[in-house]
Amino acid sequence: MAIEKAAVIGAGLMGGGIAAHIANAGHDVVLLDIVPDGASDRNALADGAVARMLKTDPAPFMEKADARRITTGNVEDHLDLLADADWIVEAVIERVDAKQAVYAKIDAVRKAGSIVSSNTSTIPARMLLDGMPEAFARDFLITHFFNPPRYMRLLEVVAGPETRADAVAAVCDFADRKLGKGVVPCNDTPGFIANRIGTYWLVLAVRAAMEGGVTVEEADALLSRPVGVPKTGVFGLIDLVGLDLMPLVGRSLKDSLPGSDAFHAVYDEPALVKSMIEQGYIGRKGKGGFYRLKPDSETKEKQVIDLESGEYGPALRPRLESVEQAGRSLRALFEFPDKCGEYAWRVMSGTLAYTAGLVPEIAGDVGAVDRAMRLGYNWKRGPFALIDEVGAGWFAEKLAGEGREIPPLLGAAAAGGGFHRLAEGRAEHLDGGCRYVPLARPDGVLLLSDIKRTARPLAKNGSASLWDIGDGVACLEFHSKMNALDTEIMAMVTRSVETVGDGMRALVIHNEGSNFSVGMNLGLALFVVNVGAWSMIEETIEEGQAAFRSLKFAPFPVVGAPSGMALGGGCEILLHCDAVQAHAESYMGLVEVGVGLVPGWGGCKEMMVRALTSGKTGFGGAMPAVSRVFETIGLAKVSRSAKQARGLGFLREGDGISANRDRLLADAKARALALAEDYAPPEPATVKLPGKTGRVALKMAVRGLAKTRKATPHDLVVVEHLGNVLTGGDTDTTREVPEDRLSELEREALLALIRTPGTIARMEHMLETGKPLRN
Amino acid sequence: MKNAVIAGYARSPFHFAHKGALVEKRPDDLAAEVVHGLLAQTGVDPAEIEDLIIGCAFPEGEQGFNLGRIVALIADLPISVAGATVNRFCGSSMQAIHIAAGAIRMDAGEAFICAGVESMSRVPMGGFNPAPNPDLYEKNEGAYMSMGETAENLARKYQITREEQEALAVTSHARAAAAWEDGRFAGEVIAVETAEGTVERDGCIRPGTNPEVLAGLEPAFDADGTVTAGTSSPLTDGAAAVLVCTEEFAARNDLSVLARIKAIAVAGCAPEIMGYGPVVSSEKALARAGIKMADVDVVELNEAFAVQALACVRELAIDLERMNIDGGAIAIGHPLGATGARITGKAAQILSREDKRYALATQCIGGGQGISTVLEAA
Repeated sequence: MAIEKAAVIGAGLMGGGIAAHIANAGHDVVLLDIVPDGASDRNALADGAVARMLKTDPAPFMEKADARRITTGNVEDHLDLLADADWIVEAVIERVDAKQAVYAKIDAVRKAGSIVSSNTSTIPARMLLDGMPEAFARDFLITHFFNPPRYMRLLEVVAGPETRADAVAAVCDFADRKLGKGVVPCNDTPGFIANRIGTYWLVLAVRAAMEGGVTVEEADALLSRPVGVPKTGVFGLIDLVGLDLMPLVGRSLKDSLPGSDAFHAVYDEPALVKSMIEQGYIGRKGKGGFYRLKPDSETKEKQVIDLESGEYGPALRPRLESVEQAGRSLRALFEFPDKCGEYAWRVMSGTLAYTAGLVPEIAGDVGAVDRAMRLGYNWKRGPFALIDEVGAGWFAEKLAGEGREIPPLLGAAAAGGGFHRLAEGRAEHLDGGCRYVPLARPDGVLLLSDIKRTARPLAKNGSASLWDIGDGVACLEFHSKMNALDTEIMAMVTRSVETVGDGMRALVIHNEGSNFSVGMNLGLALFVVNVGAWSMIEETIEEGQAAFRSLKFAPFPVVGAPSGMALGGGCEILLHCDAVQAHAESYMGLVEVGVGLVPGWGGCKEMMVRALTSGKTGFGGAMPAVSRVFETIGLAKVSRSAKQARGLGFLREGDGISANRDRLLADAKARALALAEDYAPPEPATVKLPGKTGRVALKMAVRGLAKTRKATPHDLVVVEHLGNVLTGGDTDTTREVPEDRLSELEREALLALIRTPGTIARMEHMLETGKPLRN
Repeated sequence: MKNAVIAGYARSPFHFAHKGALVEKRPDDLAAEVVHGLLAQTGVDPAEIEDLIIGCAFPEGEQGFNLGRIVALIADLPISVAGATVNRFCGSSMQAIHIAAGAIRMDAGEAFICAGVESMSRVPMGGFNPAPNPDLYEKNEGAYMSMGETAENLARKYQITREEQEALAVTSHARAAAAWEDGRFAGEVIAVETAEGTVERDGCIRPGTNPEVLAGLEPAFDADGTVTAGTSSPLTDGAAAVLVCTEEFAARNDLSVLARIKAIAVAGCAPEIMGYGPVVSSEKALARAGIKMADVDVVELNEAFAVQALACVRELAIDLERMNIDGGAIAIGHPLGATGARITGKAAQILSREDKRYALATQCIGGGQGISTVLEAA
C-alpha cells in the first residue's frame, strides 16, 4: 500500500515538525490538537503551531507555500478529517493513558488498513497496545523522529508483536523515499537505540566531569571534534535539548530497564543540575544552562558554570595538551596521562562497552546501532566504528586490564578483526549472534564511500578524485578542505572531461562531504592578491571558466548531485551541468558579493542565459530577467532548500530533488544514463541584453538602497560591476550577445574589483571571522 | 463659448496594492465598472458620450493597448463612443478633464467621461521593463529620481519637521474615517466585484492612526531623513471617473451639476523637488480664474507626501481647514492615474455639498510638474 494522505495528532514541537516535513514532501497532512480550555478559537493550538513554524529558524518548512498543505483542526470537531488518512501519527504527551485515549478516537474514524504510529521516545509498543483491539495492534507501530524532524535524519521504527509487515514496509518506504529519513529498525526496548546509548553517555559524561574535576569547557572540548561528535559536546548538547528533560528521560529509563542493566550504576541526579533547573537554568530555551550569556551585558559575553561552586564565570576556549598531543589518534587521546585523557577514556570506554553489550537486545546488528548514533546524534562514527578505530583488540585488552567485563560481541570483534571489516573486498559487520554478515544496501542506494572502500580512483590529486561508479558513469569527487575549489579541482575537472570522453557514457559530480562546496579557496586568492600576482588571478579565472565550459559542452551528459552548501564556485559548477539532481537539503547561492566580488566562473553568464531562455521572462524585454538575477546575485541570496533553489533560478524546472541523501548518487546516476541516450551537447547561447540603459535602471534601483543604508558604499562599487556584466556591457538591446562575451565581462569585473581596497578588506574579514564585512 | 461643468463623480474603493482587496482585479475591468457606475449614477445616455478619456501613469501590460478604447468596449458603451489614453503620470486623469474642457471650448463634443485607473499591484511603478535614457540620467539624474528622494529634498529645503508631517497624516486619516462614518463617501464609491466577493469600502484608511504609532516608523527613503511610510501615500489600486459636459447638455439631460470648470493650468518645476509643482500650476490657474488663494473655499491638494503637501500649503498660503476635508491620499490612497479624477470630482462634490463658491484641485507630478483646476459653483 502507498501512503498519500497523512495526519498528525498533537501540534507540539515534534507533531508540528513532523506535519511540516510531510508537507515538505508534497503530501497533504491534517494536524489536530486539543481544544484549549475556554478558547474562543478552537483550532488555536494547530493554527498556532503552523504560524510559529513559519517564523522558526532553521525553518521547518522548505518553502513557505508548503504550509498550505497542512489542514489544521482539533480533535473534538475534526476527527472526520482522519477518515481518509493512510497514515496517522500520534505525537501527544508521553503518557500511556493520554495516548490510548487518542487511539480510541482515531480507531473510531480511521479507514480500514490505515496505519497508526506513535512518536513516543520512551514508551514501549507493548505498553501502548495494552488493552487495545487486535485489529488496531496489527496496524500500529512506533515511528520515533528526532528534533527537529526536517533536519535530523534518524527515524527509529519499532514494530509491535502483531504489526503487519506491509504496514511497516509502507511507513519505512515513505519515510525513506519521501521524508529522506535514515530508517533504523529497533527492538521494542526502553529508549530504543539512540537515546538508550545517548542518555547513558550524557549521564556518565556529567558525572565523570564532576568526579574527575574536569571543567565544562574541557569536557566539551574533549567529547566533541576529537571523538567525532558535534561541537556542542556534552554540556552544550544538554543545554540544547534542555536540562529539564534529562531527569525525565533518565528516570523513565531507570524505571523501565531491568535491574541488571549497567545504566543503574551510572545514573544519578546531581544536586547542581537540580538547583539549576529550579532556578530556571534549563538550557537555551530558558535563561541559559551550563553556558549562558552574561545577564545585563550588551557584549554578549559567554559564561560557563563552575561544576564545583555553581558560579558562572567567563567561558574560555581551553587548549588541551591531551588533544594537541594526540592529534588524530583516538588511542593516544585515551591513553594520555592527565585528567583529560582519563576523562575521555572513562566516558567513551564506558559508553562503548555498554553499547557492545546491547546487541542483540536493542538491534539486530552493529550497523543499525552505528547508523542510529550517526543520524540521531550526528556522531561522525557510530560506537562500533569508534571501537574499530582504536582497534577492537586493543580496546578489549584495555578493558580487561582494568578488570572490566568484555561483552561477547566485543570478544568476537577482537577476534575477528573488528565490528566492521572487509573480507575479500566485501564489507561485512557483526550481527547480534556474533556472526559476520555482508553489508547490504537497499535498492536505489549507492554510496561513494562504499565504492571507495574497495575501488581505485580513475584519477586523483590532492583536492579531487574521479571514480568509476559503474555502467560507464564516472563520479567527480571533491575532497579539499571544505571542498573549496582550487586549481587542482579545476585540473581534475579537465581531466574528468578527457577521461569520460574516452569511452565512458556520463559524469556525475558528487561528494559525501557535509557541504558540496563552499566555493573558491579564499585564502589562496587573498595570498595571490597580496603578492600582486594579477596575471595569476586572470589565469585562475580563465582556467575555471574554461574548465566549466568544457563540462557544459562535453560530448557526454554531466549531472551535478549536491547536498548541503553549494556556494559561489560550488554553485557555478552546478550551473554548467546538463542537469542537477539535488538533495532536498541543498543550500545554493552565488555569494561572491559578500567578499566584494562578482561570480567569475560563469555564474553571471549562466544565470542570465537561463533567465532569458527559461520562458519565465514575463513582460517585455530583458529587464525583468536582468533585475531578477541582479537581485539574486546582488543580495547574495542562498536557498534554504532545494525547492527554494528552484525558485531562485539555481535549479531548473527539470532538475530533480532527492529527499534521501543515500539515494542521491543513484538518482543522479540514473539521470545521467537517461540523458546519455541520444545525447547532444548544447549549442553556445546568445542573448539580447539592454546594455547601458539597463545599467542605469539598476543604478537607479540601488540608489534607494544606499539612501536607506541597505547598501553600503562598497556594495555600490560591487553591484555597479555586477550590473555591467548582467546588462551585457557596451551592447544595445537589439544586438545578440554571445555567452563568451559574458565570460569576458565577468573577468573584467573580477579583475577590477579584486584590486579595490574595499574588496580586499572584505576577503580578509571573511577569512578571519567567517562573516561578511559591511563596508 | 460653451462652459464645461462636472456633472457626476464616482470612484472604486481604494485598496493597498499587493495586499488589498483589489490585488486580483484587472485595472481595465476595474475602470469599466467605475464607468458603468458613473453612467448609472448620472442616468446619462451612453450614446451621447463623445469620448472616454482615461488617465494612467504606467499604460502597459493590463493597462496597455489603448486603455480608453478597451474600457469602452469592456463597459459595453455604444461603439460610437471613442476612447483615448492619456499619461501625465499622477496628473493623468486631471489632464483627461482638461482635454474634455478644452474640447468643449472648441465645440468638439458635449459630454465626456474623464476617468483614471492604476493597479499598482499588477503593473509596477516604473513599468515592467524600465529603460531610462542613460545620457539623460548622466545629465540630469532628477529626471528619474525616486519620489521619496524628492520628498526628502523638500523636507530639507523647507525645514519641515517629521512631527509636522505626522500631524498632517493623523488629520488625513481622521478626516477620511469621519467621512465614511458620516456617509459622505456613500454617494461616490461604487461597489466592485472580485473573485472574493463584493468590495464596498476603502481599504487603506487607518482610523486609529496617532502620532505615537507614526513616530515609531523607520524613515522609508533615507536613513537620515524624515519621510516614513506613514507620511507617504500608499501604493494603491483604484479607479475614478467624472462626467464632464456642457452646461446645456447638463440642463437638457436634467443632470445635477456639481461645479463649473473655471480655469486650468499645468507648469513645470525642478524634478528634484517635483512635489513643489502645485505651487507654479496653481498660481497660473488662479490668475487665469482672476481670483486669489484667499477666495478659494475648498482645496483638494493631493497628498503624495505629507512634506510635499505642507511645502505647497506654505508657499500658496492654503488654509488647512479648507484642504482635503474628507481626507487626503495619505489615508485614502493614491492610485497614480486615478487620483486626478478623484480630487477634481471630490472638489466639485464638496463645493456643491458645502454650497461654496471656488474650489482648487491640484497635484504634483513626478519629473517636476504641477497641474491645477479651478472650479466655480455652478
